[in-house]
Amino acid sequence: MLDLAPAEAAAEAIAKPLRDAAALDTAIAAACHRIAPLWPLKHFVAVNPFLGFSGQSFATTCATMRRVARVDMLMPRTFYRDALANGLISDAALAKALAATPQAAASVDALKTAAARDPAPRPPSAVVATVAEVLDRLASGDRLASRTAFMVDEISKFCAGYFDEGQASWKQPGRNLPPYAAWRAVTVHDRNPETMGITGFRAAIAGLPADPVDAIAAVVDKLGIPDHAVVDYLHRALFDIGGWAAYVRYLVWDNGLYGRADDRLVQLLAIRMAWGYALWRERADADFRAAWSAAMTAAAALPQVDLPADDPDLCVDLALQDAYEIAYQARLLFRLAGPAGSAEPFLWPRRSTGRKPVQAAFCIDVRSEVYRRAFEVACPAAETIGFAGFFGYPIEYVPIGRDTGGAQCPVLLTPAFTVSEAVTGATPEEETEILGLRLLRRRAGKAWKSFKLSAVSSFTYVEAAGLLFAAKLLGDSIGLTRPVNDPNTDGLDAMVIPRVGPQLEARIVAGRPTGFTLHQALTQAEAVLRGMSLTSDFARLVLLVGHGSTTANNPHASGLDCGACGGHTGEANARVAAGILNDPEVRLGLRGKGIEIPTDCWFLGCLHDTTTDEVTIFDQDTVPGEAQAALRELRGWLARASALARAERAPLLGLGGIANVDDEVLARSRDWAQVRPEWGLAGNAAFIAAPRSFTRSVDLGGRAFLHSYDWQADSGFGVLTLIMTAPLVVASWINLQYYGSTVNNRAFGSGNKVLHNVVGTLGVLEGNAGDLKVGLPWQSVHDGQRFIHEPLRLNAFIAAPLEAMNAVIAGHQGIRELIENRWLNLFAIGDDGVVAHRYDRDGEWLAVG
Amino acid sequence: MISPLLWLLLAGPCALLLIGLLPAARANAIPMVMAARAQLAAIATFMSALGMAVHTAVAGAVRTPVLPGVGLWFDSLTAVMFLLVSFVGAVVVNYSRNYLAGDADHGRFTKWLAFTLAAVLILIISGNLVQFAIAWVATSVGLNQLLLFYRDRPAAILAARKKFIASRIGDLCLVGAIVLLGRTFGGLDYATLFAGAGALAATPGVIHVVAALLVIAALLKSAQFPLHGWLIEVMETPTPVSALLHAGIINAGGFLLLRFSAIVGLSAPSMDMLALFGGFTALFGSVVMLTQSSIKVALAWSTIAQMGFMLLQCGLGAWSAALLHIVAHSLYKAHAFLSSGSVVDLARASWSPSPGGQPHPARMGIAVGLVLAVTLLVSTVFGAGIAERPGVFALGAIMLLGLTHLIAQAIDERPNGFVMLRTLGLTMAVAAAWFGLQWLAARLFVGALPADAAARGPLTLAIVVLVVGGFAAVTILQSTLARASGTPRWQALHVHVSNGFYVNTIANRLVLRLWPTGR
Repeated sequence: MLDLAPAEAAAEAIAKPLRDAAALDTAIAAACHRIAPLWPLKHFVAVNPFLGFSGQSFATTCATMRRVARVDMLMPRTFYRDALANGLISDAALAKALAATPQAAASVDALKTAAARDPAPRPPSAVVATVAEVLDRLASGDRLASRTAFMVDEISKFCAGYFDEGQASWKQPGRNLPPYAAWRAVTVHDRNPETMGITGFRAAIAGLPADPVDAIAAVVDKLGIPDHAVVDYLHRALFDIGGWAAYVRYLVWDNGLYGRADDRLVQLLAIRMAWGYALWRERADADFRAAWSAAMTAAAALPQVDLPADDPDLCVDLALQDAYEIAYQARLLFRLAGPAGSAEPFLWPRRSTGRKPVQAAFCIDVRSEVYRRAFEVACPAAETIGFAGFFGYPIEYVPIGRDTGGAQCPVLLTPAFTVSEAVTGATPEEETEILGLRLLRRRAGKAWKSFKLSAVSSFTYVEAAGLLFAAKLLGDSIGLTRPVNDPNTDGLDAMVIPRVGPQLEARIVAGRPTGFTLHQALTQAEAVLRGMSLTSDFARLVLLVGHGSTTANNPHASGLDCGACGGHTGEANARVAAGILNDPEVRLGLRGKGIEIPTDCWFLGCLHDTTTDEVTIFDQDTVPGEAQAALRELRGWLARASALARAERAPLLGLGGIANVDDEVLARSRDWAQVRPEWGLAGNAAFIAAPRSFTRSVDLGGRAFLHSYDWQADSGFGVLTLIMTAPLVVASWINLQYYGSTVNNRAFGSGNKVLHNVVGTLGVLEGNAGDLKVGLPWQSVHDGQRFIHEPLRLNAFIAAPLEAMNAVIAGHQGIRELIENRWLNLFAIGDDGVVAHRYDRDGEWLAVG
Repeated sequence: MISPLLWLLLAGPCALLLIGLLPAARANAIPMVMAARAQLAAIATFMSALGMAVHTAVAGAVRTPVLPGVGLWFDSLTAVMFLLVSFVGAVVVNYSRNYLAGDADHGRFTKWLAFTLAAVLILIISGNLVQFAIAWVATSVGLNQLLLFYRDRPAAILAARKKFIASRIGDLCLVGAIVLLGRTFGGLDYATLFAGAGALAATPGVIHVVAALLVIAALLKSAQFPLHGWLIEVMETPTPVSALLHAGIINAGGFLLLRFSAIVGLSAPSMDMLALFGGFTALFGSVVMLTQSSIKVALAWSTIAQMGFMLLQCGLGAWSAALLHIVAHSLYKAHAFLSSGSVVDLARASWSPSPGGQPHPARMGIAVGLVLAVTLLVSTVFGAGIAERPGVFALGAIMLLGLTHLIAQAIDERPNGFVMLRTLGLTMAVAAAWFGLQWLAARLFVGALPADAAARGPLTLAIVVLVVGGFAAVTILQSTLARASGTPRWQALHVHVSNGFYVNTIANRLVLRLWPTGR
């Protein structure tokens, strides 16, 4: 600990309050719980920004967010007005929505009238106001002099230095201390707040207790925050620095997965509360004190629960959002029941006679839907399967030369296996040489980087090497070169790169067991095949297709990779799964478990590039000779499917009607100035767990997560439970991330991409400073003319018996909250492939009609 | 050579200017057409710059006949700057086409980008001071529009106000200098001015005033201490603006001094002031840069430092080195900004295979001492000692300090033959490139820029010693950082440095007080 001697005496001045410590702990925990995590850019995965509110209904959360954080989570009224004008919302939909929210209007016509006018400006009184906010109000709206903005900048600056993952070369001291202690140590020296006119700042901070919880208690007490407003006040305070709070929440989450305690979010809250205290203490003038006591009186009179009904305009917007979704559901249901679907009754069992030439399993990602349809056109006899893109292998993938790697599994899980990257077919000597060379290149590169970025040598660097950037600027501009090397292959020879792949055999690398024992391989292989409902009728070639993206100069690049692989590409997982399923010993074991894979069946690990729609087949050199002809044929199908998929996506990318779409798409993936290299998961609106035969004739427009599921092959409904508690939850996270970034990009998105400023190599700021930004950039949901993503809560369709789904809902709180609280809509598909029921509440289902 | 054909060179800038003068509403209606036109104009300008540069290399400097208020001047200095700015401009315009796509104001962005680029280009090829001054102010006006591209961002407004104040003071200095020059030499076209300056036997008092005004204008234009704050806050506008600003517009200060080096160089006190401010800002900026945790802000501090270094070179009379620095820095910084989104890729690749060590401070101190001694000795032997060629000495010493850092980095953690060999090879390549380029630059600009000057007096010597000593101290300081950063004293230093010694906060507060916003 640092010596804070002058502070100790002053600390006594603020006696610890008598408030009930347990109650305060509960309040702190509740406020912290409301913050959703934010993953760093190195492996950016989608998060439900309303994660902390799953326990209350969507409508109530809208009210809470309006009241406490002053942010809207519905579209502006004009959006619904336009949707009405364009006929996107039918009267029937309005009537249904009105039935659910009768407070919105007396009749459909009244609702339409309400939609036609703008919402009344809301009075800012009935909310918890923080010190900074009251000060801003007193500053007569001079935004340039805003204390809140200054405070957020200052806390953000501290957090950036404290959590920096490698930007600054002179690191902020005290990073080994807990955040609150580190901040206090920095604040002892920091003259910046006082330079800005916040007198006595350092003394105020030094006077607070050294323990973060004690400090929060002291501040709550000093400010006189009424008991029942404490949670809201703390939440509101954290929301001011919501980006950094979310990042810390991620650190806490990650530790939580491994069972480690982490109180850093509380520490951050203490920093934010201490700031408020210092601002409060500085202003002893009558104006402020009067305004403050008025604010606290208002806080004491706050309602205990949020009722949307208290806010007529909110009710109108809620009803319009519901109507908008109901109208969409009607269109989707019509599409699902399309002519092809109804004309031809499904045979059960659905697999047709005769062996298929190829089966291809893709990730459930909505981008796969387009490609699967294209592939089915290219090869009508093929069967495609949807499964979470990590193919059931939660691995930590360790690149050559490193000791640890990234977790390639959904963020709800921890890796169960470690797989190291290796050069296939390399002798131990060759391997050592490649490894050594990579390490040495890395060190030389590090020295060069230090030469470039250190205080004195940077001038020499510029004069000696600056001119070379003329060629680099030219090369990058015309897409010949990449601004920096691909991190996955950096430091490896071009000859070696194609030979790099996962090493499956069990062995010890860097003191850790890696790879799979036969027993582990067998258990996983069986789980994967059963999970995919693929236990018989194996085709000649079975493709396991992971996915990744190709973009240049894009801080959010990993967000376009596979979320099921924890924000990495699915290459390693697909190759591991295929490699294990090709293992003769594993196949022998599988036969013992009743899964007979024919000897001439071969699994291929592949990668679908979602930006260019190219599919790469890995380990082709290991394919047996007799399968080579089939492989050649497959390449032809894939090439045709890729072209079809690109053509389908072209109009949304603004490439409609262009002759050489293929070249344009490739150029886009290499363009360092491209802010919309692909549309990612924009448009996602549905999740369908059913046999592919139910949806095969339907064009779902790249908007549906497709999970293959055959309930009749699922004894005990273990697979159903898995689908509803893992892929469905992840799909909902993704859906709500897009929802949040669309309805209110300022609060739940990361703002304008052209202003992004990467901080600490872990996140982005918008512009010079301010809070860390969460969610998706505006450019990822909007094309400049319109929103490409429609703000729709996920519509899940599952082909399973109602009772089986009810059992899962009853037994699992996470999914139950999402469904009961209307964070997603659940529909049931009958055995005839027709959507017959929608979930109402408490295990009750309503007939769809 | 006087040739009316040189007027043709105005075609490119004028085309850009026309694009820049289109009304914003019209521009926004046809964003992609605007982008394509600007791209065409920028590339055409670059091509004409290329052609003209070749012509200059073969046939020497050209100028147009003197007309009232207008005229073009094209020598090797113009050639290099015109080529540089038109190249960076073309890259930035090309980049913006896709980068801003979909923005409601894409057309307006292209408009002001083209306008600003045209202003800088016209500034560079000006052949008289009236045209120069108009272009100078136009650049500032265009940049202001780009900085306020997102008008509702409070931080953008604050930065633009600070920039506005600094720019207007700079404009006043420039206009003052122009009036005095016109009175002294009886004309404002370059031929008259340079001939007049060359004919001066002794430096009259008015030239000292003129030089001081030009130096102040340059310091303000190049964001030098203590008015550097606006530059670190202009990330409130799209990335290509930062690239154009840091690689094109910010150089205007340096260009002003280079263009009028024949006049500025006559005034020893002005040169000393330049060296002092430049040298201090170089060290200040580069140390603050080390502590910054966001990429764009770190790059902005780096620009402040690099501009300081360039002005230091000017102040030491190393004019050709300064021009080389402008070119090299612009290309580097344009790429650094445009590729700033790649920093995450770099971070993903930049895991460190061994626990990073740092050179021992004492060893580093000895190394630095040795380097300085050797520089002193060798430069004296070759007739470029600290008194005869202070610029060469100082810059050579700083270059060697940089190389010392490079070698120290490579050998200190785990000495390894491969890494050492590779680093030594790299060091030699760097040294060869550096000396080669300096030599080349001195040769190339022999007619356009004065040769390296001898020491002007004891003050100059003192400044050189101060600057070299400062750089040496910082080299040692940096090698101690990792080791000592835990103690309260170091902690305090980090806090003060990372806040830029609070200078910018004071500036913000003053601006907020003097220029409050209404509701």
